[in-house]
Amino acid sequence: MTNKSRRHLAALTVTSAMVALAACSPSSSGGSGGSGDAKNVTLSVYSWRTEDVAAYNAIFDVYTKAHPGTKVDFKAFKNTEYNLKLTTDLTGSKGPDVVQVRSYGQLQPTIASKSLLPLDDVVDLSKWDANVVKSAKGKADGKLYAVPLAQQTLQMYYNKDLFAKNKLTPPTTWAEFIAVNDTLKKAGVVPMAVGAKDDWTLPMLHQVLAAPRFGASAFETAVMTGKKTFNDPDWVASVDVVKQLQPYLPESVVGVAYTDAQILFTSGKAAMFPGGSFELGFFQKQNPELNMGVFQVPAPVGSPSMDPTTTGYADGAFGISAKSDAQDASKELVKWMATKEFGQLVADKVKQLSAVPGVSYSDPLLQQMSENYTKNPTPYLLLVDFRYGLPSGSVLLGTGVQEMLLGKKDAAKVSTDLQTGVSQWFKPTT
Amino acid sequence: MSRRSGFLFVAPALLLFGIFVLYPMASALSYAFFAWQGTTRGGFVGLENFVALFTQEPFTTQLPRAFGHNIAFFVGTMLIQNTLGLGIAVLLHKRARTRRMLQTLYAMPYLVSPIVIGYLWTLLLSPTFGPVNALLRKVGLDSLALPWLGDPSTALWVVVLVSAWQWVGFPVLLYGAALGGVPEELSEAARVDGASHWQTFRSIVFPLLVPAIGTVSILTFIFAMEAFALPYALGGSTGSPAGATDFISLLFYRTAFENGSTNAIGISSAIAALLFLVIFGGAVVATRVLRRHQDRVAA
Repeated sequence: MTNKSRRHLAALTVTSAMVALAACSPSSSGGSGGSGDAKNVTLSVYSWRTEDVAAYNAIFDVYTKAHPGTKVDFKAFKNTEYNLKLTTDLTGSKGPDVVQVRSYGQLQPTIASKSLLPLDDVVDLSKWDANVVKSAKGKADGKLYAVPLAQQTLQMYYNKDLFAKNKLTPPTTWAEFIAVNDTLKKAGVVPMAVGAKDDWTLPMLHQVLAAPRFGASAFETAVMTGKKTFNDPDWVASVDVVKQLQPYLPESVVGVAYTDAQILFTSGKAAMFPGGSFELGFFQKQNPELNMGVFQVPAPVGSPSMDPTTTGYADGAFGISAKSDAQDASKELVKWMATKEFGQLVADKVKQLSAVPGVSYSDPLLQQMSENYTKNPTPYLLLVDFRYGLPSGSVLLGTGVQEMLLGKKDAAKVSTDLQTGVSQWFKPTT
Repeated sequence: MSRRSGFLFVAPALLLFGIFVLYPMASALSYAFFAWQGTTRGGFVGLENFVALFTQEPFTTQLPRAFGHNIAFFVGTMLIQNTLGLGIAVLLHKRARTRRMLQTLYAMPYLVSPIVIGYLWTLLLSPTFGPVNALLRKVGLDSLALPWLGDPSTALWVVVLVSAWQWVGFPVLLYGAALGGVPEELSEAARVDGASHWQTFRSIVFPLLVPAIGTVSILTFIFAMEAFALPYALGGSTGSPAGATDFISLLFYRTAFENGSTNAIGISSAIAALLFLVIFGGAVVATRVLRRHQDRVAA
């Protein structure tokens, strides 16, 4: 190689490495902001729901009709790019006024950078589900920074036609649940569609199958106050429930992707799908013929409480940018977002479970999920309480369950590793 | 021309380079030395973020594991992709008429985004619907119908193979160009002296290819250390199954963007800085070693 080409090579090496590093640095970009005097205000609202732009525009039309002089400029950005967009635009002076923000742990960096206004004096959410309200609070100061928008519930979906064909009904006891699985398996149907290749689905699976086994809400209180840890025998037994049910999951389940599991269910190859309320729209669109129902999995044998539960968590909220130059108008809008009128509009137009209490749903399945949750609520423990640090509890349990399904760890080891991992940052309140 | 007027001529380029490459790079590096509250920079903490990488879970287990996978990915790519690429380039070199077309065909997959390639192969290899396993079962190779991406012992090698499948056209092109630069007279002279094909290749062509091999190796090293899109598409941000396909960039991504800790920027910048050092240092050392080796082979 000549001297020149050597130098070229060296230069090439350096620049490639530099580009790699430069790609990691956040850059700032401007955004258009809310502007105008008190009478004529345009509020810029950010969201990651690109698929719901029409629905939100219709919702805000209702608001602007009742509030002449206020205009709402709703902008949606791609879900995967939203966090970055929010981070950069909230630091700039021309950022948005009202922003959709993440929930629970993922909200904390936004709060810590003092990008949001505290809303304790603006809205009163004392009648709301405490689990849901927690999603919008600062972990460090306990202040409310946003109004929760939607919530999700976790439950078991089932294919009514496949159940009828095999003369099955939704089980009410654990023995019946096992019998349902056995019958389906013998009939050549995959009993439960699960995609364990995507580890984020596994803490949800655990929650749907075994929340009563670890003690549901009672365990949450105990673990948050330090009375119990994830080494608790009931918790370990709840993780083991997933292992015991492995024969009823698809073959080589750790190789099955989440999207494969969805297709297994919508195509009628699998009879049940443990999943969130967020699946409903996709399932209905994918196969409009699909005759679906939902049920709560009965409590496993040996559970501290034999009540079945429906798991829930808040999913997204709206807060006010601390840099907004139209704070009064923004507060008005956010106040409205805490009303039943707004909640009902979200339910009707966006077709999601609203975080506002007392909203009704035209879709019978959404209505049933909402009622189930109201009757026997329990938090999605790993999401609600254990995503405030690194390593995140959901990732630890997700990858741990993968290893358990691969036969590399048992339930006790998965639980110990979870406990060791979260104790890096989690301190119980005594 | 005086030194000063020479400087004036390169100033515009230097300015652009400074603003768009050096400045963002230096500021990204500097982030690693501060504590962060979300996007607000806190106090200077010296090497604390780096110390955390080597003393705190999950980094103490995940960083070495991810690094090992990057190295395995590099070695695998060198052995499979680049060896295969050299072989194909040599064979194509002899086919004057169809060479161009075949080179283009081999290079096709790398025109497609690795994300797309990754999802495509996830579908192909799916144990439930994937045609690969269905085909294996059809021809009686049931024992080979494995959950390729669901088993920690095969998943990493699937990443290597899919990557090789996508990128094999790249060494084919580079080696093809280098082979074109080998004077035909030398091979002819060797053949007149009675050298076999293999002897000609081993003693004449190969030594003349060493510079190209060096370039390809170093580019492969950088490529393997930065690997992100394909592993992300094949195994998600946690390197499924159970971290078997975790890479340093994925660890960086998880730390920076999927993290409830408020110091995410500080720690993730430390990972980025470390990755930069490894790539930069590795590339410099590799260049030195190759240069020395090259002088020996060429001598």
